[in-house]
Amino acid sequence: MASPFKPAGTAIPSAPRNSASLVSSFFRRPGPLYLSAAILRLIFLLYGLWQDTNSPVKYTDIDYLVFTDAAHFVSRGHSPYERETYRYTPILAWLLLPTAQTIGTPLLDAALFNSGKVLFAAADLVAGWLLERVLARDMDAATARKYAAIWLLNPMVATISTRGSSEGLLGVLVMALLSAVMARRTTLAGLLLGFGVHFKIYPFIYAPAIVWWMDRERMGSPQQPNKQHTPLLSKLFAFITRARLQLAITSLAIFLVLNLWMYTLYGPSFLNHTYLHHVTRIDHRHNFSPYNTQLYLASASSSSSGPGLQIESAAFLPQLLLSCVLIPLAMAQKDLPSAMLAQTFAFVTFNKVCTSQYFLWYMVLLPLYLPRSSFLADKRIGVTALVLWVAAQGLWLQQGYELEFLGRSSFLPGLWLASLGFFLVNCWILGVIIGDVGTQPKAVAS
Amino acid sequence: MRERVTYVQKLGDSLEPSALTVEGGTIKGPEVHAVREDRLTIALNELPTELQTLVAGAQDLHIRWVSTTAYEAVSPLLARLPPGFHFFFTPGKDGIVGNKLCPLLGSIFGSDICLSPNESFTSLPKDTFSHSAAFQYFQQLETLSQFIQYAKGRLCRSTDASCSARLDALSKASSLDISYDTVQHVLRVTALWPYQRQQVHVTSHPQLRTEVGILSTDKPQTLEPHEIGISGLLTVLGQDFKPSPTMFTFASRHRDAESTFSAQFLTPTGLHPTLRLRLASSAPLNLSQHDDDNNDQDTTCVPYAYLTLPRTIFADRYQLSDLLFLASKNLTALRYMTQPVDLEAPEYVMAQWGSSVLLELSPPPPSTSSQPEKKNEREEWTAEIPLHLRYLAPAEGGYSAISVPYPAVFWACVPEHGGVEFPPNPFEKVKLGYDGLFEDGTVFWHVEPRPVGGGTSLVNVVRVPVLDLEKARWVNAGTAVAVLGGFAWVVWKLVGLYMYGGDGVEGEGEKAREKKRQ
Repeated sequence: MASPFKPAGTAIPSAPRNSASLVSSFFRRPGPLYLSAAILRLIFLLYGLWQDTNSPVKYTDIDYLVFTDAAHFVSRGHSPYERETYRYTPILAWLLLPTAQTIGTPLLDAALFNSGKVLFAAADLVAGWLLERVLARDMDAATARKYAAIWLLNPMVATISTRGSSEGLLGVLVMALLSAVMARRTTLAGLLLGFGVHFKIYPFIYAPAIVWWMDRERMGSPQQPNKQHTPLLSKLFAFITRARLQLAITSLAIFLVLNLWMYTLYGPSFLNHTYLHHVTRIDHRHNFSPYNTQLYLASASSSSSGPGLQIESAAFLPQLLLSCVLIPLAMAQKDLPSAMLAQTFAFVTFNKVCTSQYFLWYMVLLPLYLPRSSFLADKRIGVTALVLWVAAQGLWLQQGYELEFLGRSSFLPGLWLASLGFFLVNCWILGVIIGDVGTQPKAVAS
Repeated sequence: MRERVTYVQKLGDSLEPSALTVEGGTIKGPEVHAVREDRLTIALNELPTELQTLVAGAQDLHIRWVSTTAYEAVSPLLARLPPGFHFFFTPGKDGIVGNKLCPLLGSIFGSDICLSPNESFTSLPKDTFSHSAAFQYFQQLETLSQFIQYAKGRLCRSTDASCSARLDALSKASSLDISYDTVQHVLRVTALWPYQRQQVHVTSHPQLRTEVGILSTDKPQTLEPHEIGISGLLTVLGQDFKPSPTMFTFASRHRDAESTFSAQFLTPTGLHPTLRLRLASSAPLNLSQHDDDNNDQDTTCVPYAYLTLPRTIFADRYQLSDLLFLASKNLTALRYMTQPVDLEAPEYVMAQWGSSVLLELSPPPPSTSSQPEKKNEREEWTAEIPLHLRYLAPAEGGYSAISVPYPAVFWACVPEHGGVEFPPNPFEKVKLGYDGLFEDGTVFWHVEPRPVGGGTSLVNVVRVPVLDLEKARWVNAGTAVAVLGGFAWVVWKLVGLYMYGGDGVEGEGEKAREKKRQ
């Protein structure tokens, strides 16, 4: 597995001189970067087609078959939820409607079927472009592209989208949200936020950070001194600004409108599969989450007797406290992109279910933070973090392999300790990210 | 109440009438090598009350139990099912399945049979062909001991030792069938004992009309390829003084493919065990001879495996939809699977019995060698069925064992231009779960399950890794400590940032830049 910290070999400021000139000419204009990002995805896509037609082991992600089956149901006037394990908004199935079309020419049909992957890969590129735009607020365009390349040329990102996983769409949504906020386009930000939450729930964590960030000074609206109220009330009134209200109303409105619309179309099955499933799921197939072993134990004992439920519900607490309250409060005002990275990182790390696809959620925000990170400034920290992050996963994967393929009961202590180890490594990285906020840019070559 | 006892021997084995002595209510004869089938036909009003209500509320009711011990069968008593307890049921016109059904079945066969029809049963498809029951239930059941106790209590007087003895013999039976005939309003209970050496000896019960047949497979000159022949001696005890010879032919739905298969899991099984079928079986011989005519190729025969999987293990129908993947396992297609089958839920939260699966296998192409004598030499081939284990409840030691019954394997010959109707025959067997998935007139050529290495059990045991309860003592505390520790560290860093973090770069830099713009 590739690492999110992979600096693409190019972003390190102190690169040797002659290679540096080659590198800087690569980034001088946008063409080469985006072209190579597109070619990289094209190669992966074509390779995937080849593997799918020639090997019983498929390149295409199982989720892609879920999406396209759902699109197939929709194209015949059915509900996408007729496909088992389709747990997404119907909009995703609508977006993939072209994959359900057939013309009769095998080559064109294959192209149509794979058009969803093209969409996801294109979303990667757009996310990269938005990333560059946000980065360029603090640095020159060539340097911004260098950091954007960490996303654009990351083979892990390209693999996930060309295998047909929809996480790339989330990348675009989150980057579009961030760049709309930075550009003070509040209504657009509200629309994107509402849509993002409708699409994948987790972007709701960004709402408090953005709201906290949007203070009067930053949004350029005049101070309204109000002396009739007590200090507490006046503080409260001062907090409620036009921009904040606008964001709250537009995001809530679009979220509700979309949900009502989908509910009128598909009824309770929409609610059950898209949202309620995530609350009620009893599916403890092993994953990276530190809670996994504990949940497996609790679910089995609660199905027979005893209260095992408290810990399950208590598990939400640290996760939501960090990602929705403490990190926004402490970080959002200082550095919104890094705050959003830390929120996502905390959300994924403390989640009750954690698979490697979720890593993509924070990976898109990583290039915004890296310029001022200790990981690039002090290579020892960077390498240590990278090695620990990869090694902890490797250890877990090795235990998982023994369980899944060799049938060895490695739940305890192997998988359990490995997931706790990975969790602690993630906590340490998160701590470093938090500690880096509020310091000067460290690695930006100006 | 009527009784029928039939011994069926193989082709060429027959008994002279003189070898039998009929005296009063008893028939005696020499030792024969045969299968024995006993059938008791009970009228509705002769049934115990609880059974009367059960069958009266049913449009269709079949209970089929198959032993886990491998047995050899003889034509025409060939219909096979995976070992275990099968229940096929269509409720009456009102469509109501009573809640008493499961407790009643439990009291007859064993306490752990089904929770409630709603939760435990699965629906059989209505759209394909109309001739299957509405609901299916399957459960692994090693012995009939509970049934034997139940039947003794209902059928035998306490003084009647021979009645008890006959019911005790069910513990050695290979299969037991209980079917309700809604036209004649009778319940037929049929038990079958394997092909083995046994004494011919039947005594009738005073209140029972008992008919005894000592039969064997026959091949008269006039036999059509789609028919089988039976000949032998029939005696009605207490009525006939000597056996009367009989001979009849009929088109049989179930026939003998005269070949065997074994099923074993590939090791290591992991969480995704693969069941490998090893077959020494080629397309039914009669039909390939039939094909020699070349002008009359109106039947295609294809091998199938029919699995009844307990809920601990399942097949993924999406995985089984990719042709390339199927071909790599020597499978052609997934023809049927129970719906729905949850792909994620752990075993301990499920009530549905499990799922049945019908898979079309791809045999190697028939050898093109022109030597006719090679036709009998069957090349061994394999097919692999990829399955998935559910999470099982945590257990001491870290492992739980589950058992998976052998599938039923057969060649189905589907007539292309509408099938012949099968006239009723005395050994007819329908509604087996898979026959309803084929069009009427399909002939099933059964391949005999024969465990490898001289074993006799038609059940494969899989060791499933589970969470080890012996090591689970520290899980709650350890997880809590790790999560709280990680949480505290992150909060500590946040507090540090909040207290001493200064004004922030983004704020400063950005605000400064904005000032420049103005």
